[in-house]
Amino acid sequence: MRRLKGNHICFTVIAVMLACSPFLVGSSSMVQFLGKCMCYSIVAIALDLIWGYTGMLSLGHGIYFCLGGYAMAMYLRLRDNGGALTDFMQTGGLTKLPFFWKPFLSFPLAMLLVILVPGVLAAVIGYFVFRSRIKGVYFSIITQALTWAAYSLFIANSKYTGGNNGITDFTSVFGSTRGVANRGHLTAMFFVALAALVLVYLLASWLVNSKFGKLLIAIRDGENRTFFSGYCVNQYKNFIYTLSAVLAGIGGALFVNFNGSITPSQMTIAYSITMVVWVAVGGRGTVIGAVIGAFFINLCEYNLSSGALAGIWQYIVGAIFGVTILFFKGGIVGIVKEQIPALFARLQSAPAAEKEKKEAA
Amino acid sequence: MAEIANTLFNGLSLGSIYLLVALGLSVTFGLMGIINMAHGEFVMIGAYMAYVMQQIFAALFGRSGSLYYIAAIPFAFAVTFLLGCIMERTLVTRLYGRKMDSLLATWGISLILQQAARSIFGSQGVNVNAPDFLKSGIQIGGCTFSYNRIFIICMVAACLGAVWFLMNKSSFGAQMRATMQNRAMAQCMGINTKKVDCLTFALGSGLAGVAGCSVALLGSVDSTVGQSYIVYSFMTVVLGGVGNLLGTVLGAMIIGFSSIIVEAYQSASIARAIVLFMIIVFLQFRPRGLFTIRSRSLDE
Repeated sequence: MRRLKGNHICFTVIAVMLACSPFLVGSSSMVQFLGKCMCYSIVAIALDLIWGYTGMLSLGHGIYFCLGGYAMAMYLRLRDNGGALTDFMQTGGLTKLPFFWKPFLSFPLAMLLVILVPGVLAAVIGYFVFRSRIKGVYFSIITQALTWAAYSLFIANSKYTGGNNGITDFTSVFGSTRGVANRGHLTAMFFVALAALVLVYLLASWLVNSKFGKLLIAIRDGENRTFFSGYCVNQYKNFIYTLSAVLAGIGGALFVNFNGSITPSQMTIAYSITMVVWVAVGGRGTVIGAVIGAFFINLCEYNLSSGALAGIWQYIVGAIFGVTILFFKGGIVGIVKEQIPALFARLQSAPAAEKEKKEAA
Repeated sequence: MAEIANTLFNGLSLGSIYLLVALGLSVTFGLMGIINMAHGEFVMIGAYMAYVMQQIFAALFGRSGSLYYIAAIPFAFAVTFLLGCIMERTLVTRLYGRKMDSLLATWGISLILQQAARSIFGSQGVNVNAPDFLKSGIQIGGCTFSYNRIFIICMVAACLGAVWFLMNKSSFGAQMRATMQNRAMAQCMGINTKKVDCLTFALGSGLAGVAGCSVALLGSVDSTVGQSYIVYSFMTVVLGGVGNLLGTVLGAMIIGFSSIIVEAYQSASIARAIVLFMIIVFLQFRPRGLFTIRSRSLDE
C-alpha cells in the first residue's frame, strides 16, 4: 500500500504544479508546450497499459493518436471554414464535401467519432490479431506494418486527408490560442487537458489495481498459464488494446488543439516508437512512470533540440534509450524506487561488513 | 506477352531486393531471435560505402569508372561486418532471450546511426552512379531487361547460395545451428558459443551491407534509405517462417510479385497497404508463417 501512495503523491505534485503553471509561466508557447506534454502523457499511459502491464509492445500507437487528432482537426477545420471545402479538397478537384467528412460538421458527433474511430479500428485489428494468437515480437512487427500501411494511405489520398501537409490552419475548440489577447482560451484549453490527464490517470490506476489489472499482469508474465486457468485471454487483451487506442485517440484530439495542425508524420513508425521511448524511460509497468517519462523526454527535447545541441539531440535520445533498456529496466521510477535504495543499502552494509571482517581477524 | 514478361521480371527484381535485405534479417532474427531495428541502418551504411568507394576512386584515378562498384561490395560487407561485430559485443550480447528489449535497444542504435550519417554526409541525398557495364539493358522480344536489375538478381542468387552453403555445408554452419538450437548442449560439445554468436550477427549485418550496395543503384542515398525496406523485410521473414531460408525466399518473392501485380491496378501507396493487409490476413491462417519448425514448446 505504501508504494501506491508514493505514486499518487508524486502525481498530485505534478498535477498541482501544472495547474499553477498557466498563471506563473509568461510565454504562451511554453504553456502550449506543457499542454502538448499532457497529451503525450495520456498517450504514454495508454501505451503503458498494454506494454507495461499486458506485455504487448505496440509499435503502431501513432495510428490511434493520429486518428483521434484527425477527427478533432476535421471538425475544427470545418468549423473555422464555415463548413466549406478545404483548400486541399479544392486542389484535389472535389466539388462537394466527402461523405465521411459530413459528421464532423457537428461537435457532439465529432467528439463521438474521436472515441469511436480509434476504438473500432483497434477492436477489429485486435480481434483478428489476438484470435490467431499472434503475440510477442510478432505483434510488434505486425503493428509496425499496419502503421506503415496507414501512413501510406494517408499520404496517398491527399484530396481527402491533406496528404503530406495534413490538416492545418485551425484554432482550438475555444478559439485562437495565440497572442496575449487570447490567453484565456489557452488557459481554458490547458485545464481541459489537465482534467483529461487526471481522469485518465485515475482510470488507469484504478484499472491496474483492480482484479482486471492483476489479470493483465498475469497475462504478461504467463499467458499460457492464465489461459489454462480458464480466462479468455484474447478478450482481455482485445479489451485493453481497444481501451488503449481510445485513450491514445483522446490524447491526439486534445493535442491538435494545442498544436494547431496534424500531419501524417505523427503516424510514422518512428513517432510511434518515440512514444514507447517515453514509457521505457519513465518506467514501464507504473502509471506514474509513463507520465514522468513523457514530460522528461519532451522537456529535454524542448530545451536541447534547438540551439547548440541540436546536432547531437538524436544521439542523446538514442543513447538514453539504449542505456535505459540495457541497464535500467524500470526507467526513472525504477531508479528512484529500487536502484537508489539498493545502492544506499549496499553503502551502509559495506562499512559494516568491513568492520566485521576486521573484528573477525 | 511482353507485358507479362515485364511484370514477371519486375516482380522478380523487386522480390530479390526484399530478399537481399531480408536475408541478413533471417540470420539475425530467424536464427538468433534478435530483432535488429538497426538492420535498415546497416543497409544505409552499405549504400554509403558504395558512395565512399566511388569518391575514393574518383579522387585516385580522376573518374570513378566502373571498377569502384566491384570494390565497393566487399568493402561494404567488411565495414558492416565489423560494425555488426562491435554491436554484438557491446549491446546485443546482453539482450539474448529478451526479444522485445532487443528491438528497443537496437532502435536507439538506429537513431544514432541515422544522425551520424546526417552529420558525415549531410542531410541531402547523395547519388551513386551505376557502373558503366550496368548502364544499358538487353532487349528481348519487345521488353527491356536492364542490366541493373539483372545484376541485383544475380547478386541475390550468389548471396543466397553462399549463405546456404555456409549454413548447411560448412563446419561453422553446423556450429551455428547447434548453438541456436541448444546453447547449453553446444557449449558442452566444446563450441565457443560467444564467438559463434558474434560471427553470426556480424554475418547478418554484413549481408545488410551488401544489400545496401544494390539499393544504392536504385535511387539516391540518404540517412533514411534503410527505413523504407525494413518493414517489408520483417514481414518477409515473418511470412516465410522464422529460421527458414527457403521460407524467406518464398516470402520475398510473394511480396515482390504481389506488389507489382497490385501496382498495375492501384497507386504505389495503396498497393503497399493492400499487400501488407493481405499478409496479415494470411497470418490469420498460418500465424507462424509458411514454413514452421515443429516444436512442442508453447512459448518460444
